[in-house]
Amino acid sequence: MTVTSATSVSAAIRRSGGRGMALGAGLVVLALLPLAAGASPYLLGLLISALILSGLALSWALLGNLGGMVSFGHAAFFGVGSYASALLAAKLGVPVLLAIPLGGVIATLSSLAMLPALRLSGPYFALAILAYAQIFRILATELDWLTGGAAGLQRYPGLPTLFGINLADRAGSYVLVLACVALFALVYVVLRKSHIGTALRAISDSEDATRVVGVNATLLKSWMLFLSAFIAGVFGALNAHIIGFLEPDYAFSGIWSVMPIIAAVFGGYRSVLGPIFGAVVIYLFDQVIAKSLIPVGHQILLGILLAVMVLLAPNGLSGLVARIFSKTAEKHHAGA
Amino acid sequence: MLELDAVTVRFGGLTALANISFRIKAGEIVGLVGPNGAGKTTLFNSISGLVKARGRIAFDGKDVTGLPLHKRARAGIGRTFQIPQPMQHLSVRENLAVAQVFGAGRHDEARIDEILAVMELSHKAEADAATALALQELKRLEIAKALATEPKLLLLDEVLAGLESNAKKSFMVKLKELHKLFGLTIVIVEHDIETISGLCTRAVVLNFGQLIADGTPTEVFNNPAVVESYTGTAHA
Amino acid sequence: MTELILQALFSGVLIGGVYALVALGLALAFGAMRIINLAHGELVLLAAYMAYLVESRTGLDPYFAIPLALVVVGAASWALFLLVDKIQDHRELNSLILTFAIGIILTNAILLIFASDMRTTSSPALQDAVSLGDVFAMRGEIIAFVLSVVLMGVLWWWLKSSWYGRAVRAVSSNRNAARLMGINPARIETVSFLVAGALAAFAGVALYTMSVVQPATGHALTVKAFIITVLAGVGSIPGVFLGAVLLGVTEALTVTLASSALQELAGMVLFLLVLFLLPNGLFGARARRG
Repeated sequence: MTVTSATSVSAAIRRSGGRGMALGAGLVVLALLPLAAGASPYLLGLLISALILSGLALSWALLGNLGGMVSFGHAAFFGVGSYASALLAAKLGVPVLLAIPLGGVIATLSSLAMLPALRLSGPYFALAILAYAQIFRILATELDWLTGGAAGLQRYPGLPTLFGINLADRAGSYVLVLACVALFALVYVVLRKSHIGTALRAISDSEDATRVVGVNATLLKSWMLFLSAFIAGVFGALNAHIIGFLEPDYAFSGIWSVMPIIAAVFGGYRSVLGPIFGAVVIYLFDQVIAKSLIPVGHQILLGILLAVMVLLAPNGLSGLVARIFSKTAEKHHAGA
Repeated sequence: MLELDAVTVRFGGLTALANISFRIKAGEIVGLVGPNGAGKTTLFNSISGLVKARGRIAFDGKDVTGLPLHKRARAGIGRTFQIPQPMQHLSVRENLAVAQVFGAGRHDEARIDEILAVMELSHKAEADAATALALQELKRLEIAKALATEPKLLLLDEVLAGLESNAKKSFMVKLKELHKLFGLTIVIVEHDIETISGLCTRAVVLNFGQLIADGTPTEVFNNPAVVESYTGTAHA
Repeated sequence: MTELILQALFSGVLIGGVYALVALGLALAFGAMRIINLAHGELVLLAAYMAYLVESRTGLDPYFAIPLALVVVGAASWALFLLVDKIQDHRELNSLILTFAIGIILTNAILLIFASDMRTTSSPALQDAVSLGDVFAMRGEIIAFVLSVVLMGVLWWWLKSSWYGRAVRAVSSNRNAARLMGINPARIETVSFLVAGALAAFAGVALYTMSVVQPATGHALTVKAFIITVLAGVGSIPGVFLGAVLLGVTEALTVTLASSALQELAGMVLFLLVLFLLPNGLFGARARRG
């Protein structure tokens, strides 16, 4: 019996793994469609921004889902990543494609300052990270010898040409950002399936029980904070080199804290694909529909959407989809 | 194997453990006895690292007094909770896998299957630990989880409570089997004098946070101080 | 220089009174439901805009807006409670996200209705300078401070001696034990949110009479209330008052000695120092530890 169950389990894993691969490949093909269809530069520009947000939402959801921490301050990591990468490229001449991951590393370093906040229980950690985000915005404004202050940074290198692909044009940037989203989604999936992912799942509800079998809960949660900060920093850096200007009120804008939350909750922050798709939908909705309806204060619609989602579908669209699927599967099962 | 020197635990003004000193040798099965509130669970908590204690706790010749919980688990101190605390949202197998990977530092599915079989949980291996297990199964999972960390010392907190006498007898046989099979040293909190006499080579008695007796079960249960503390509270 | 510092200390103490009211509202809702209301600062902001509305429409003194603010903010706080109460699973996490969303809605609603301009009282009576020895204050600041201290006294008395106050304390210390004593936690939670709303209403009106407000102020107030809670720990009213005064003084000194752009940073640095060096808060409270 154990033998058959073990084989059936491993078969199930292989099956789901295979299905996951196929799903991922299909999604990448789908995402490349706009290029094949010759989308307008305007549309590609929108999609690039949407994908930047996808990456940010993914990093937020990773921290929330695996680390059990709600961050109201991802703008801090996003902003630090963008400034760090732009400054490294401009002042030290670091190649842009190296400066971007370094931007992520520096965002991770900035998250070290948050470690004492990990001692705080859930709701207080959320508030602490809200406060942290403000610190970095003020610092970016005040350290004007480094950051150019409130006037911002304009002259720093854009994305280069790699293997004959000009990453600085819309199509090139689109592919690069898409590749980064896919890469980090893969990292997330692998991590979630690993024993570390399983232990993290256990920590969120049963911390003592998990620690008593040898799991260093604080360390694992710190790693999730570092990884989340790194991913957010990388997308901040990508964004900085794509748009070509930075100012503190933009790079550290509360938008970068708010949007990933709405996107991830809307799409379902406990899944990997939820935040990615959620971000695309939310961003396009905000830019195309909400902004034309209410030019100033269009975020009110996002706030309402977020409140409604938390109340009616806390697991997001992916949760709804999963529920529908499991229902049909049950019916199927009952019929068989 | 385990050495306690003047271990003291205070909660605010309350002294939960006062100057507890004793040694446990490898391979012993020690019964930890005492009325409710005597400090038995606090003693387990201070040995496993859940509460900070003053004094000195050494395990396997090394001072572990300042070590955090997870490091003590990795060093070989396994424990169960009186009220079972499974890792929620994980299957029984995942519970053991996490314990093994992090507590023992290796992953060995065959060993997990072996532990599941010994603890009679094979049929529930893929079940959700928090929702699909009956109380006695949860208690067996507590032990299985601790075993998966490959402990040298196993601290069992009232694992026999709530069993009727036949089940209790067979579970005592099971514990002796585990003791031999995994080469364990065991400290067990238990109220029942017969169980202690049948299972343990030694009994340590706590009352009001103090160690009042230490010896073979027969010696201890004939000690007037122990009899008094027991009858005093048993009939209260 | 000494005079400037004295003046900064004085102004800091005065604004500290209002900060304390904001922080107490946050603490009250947390005590009852174990929920941090991230929209609490926005409730205060709502009251401030009610004061602006009354003053700009009727020409009356902004303090006449208190009844309106009590009704509007009380209703908003109650509605917020009803929504939070609807949350079933992952209550702690989802309630944070929900109250955050409500904060966004309130901020943007205020932005839509009142635009993004800074607002403050235009009443000459409130803006008159009053001198107390070497230091000066606007009359509005003095009134707001006195009002805050009186309210804190009332709150302290209420928590200490009224039946509801005792029940609130019972629920916040042990929900199940309170239930066994026949206390209905839902009713206590409602009362706590209403009282928190009332505190926010007074704080908002007071803030409008002594300082400037704009839509982004709400968020900043929530952060300030949090910093005060970290400084003081949750629990005692005098502790929260001291924490609030400390924050007010630190901010005022920073503005005087450095620049007003660093005002927010000063509070953060204070908060970081406490977090790093005194993990149990200035007054040793442990309630917020995980």
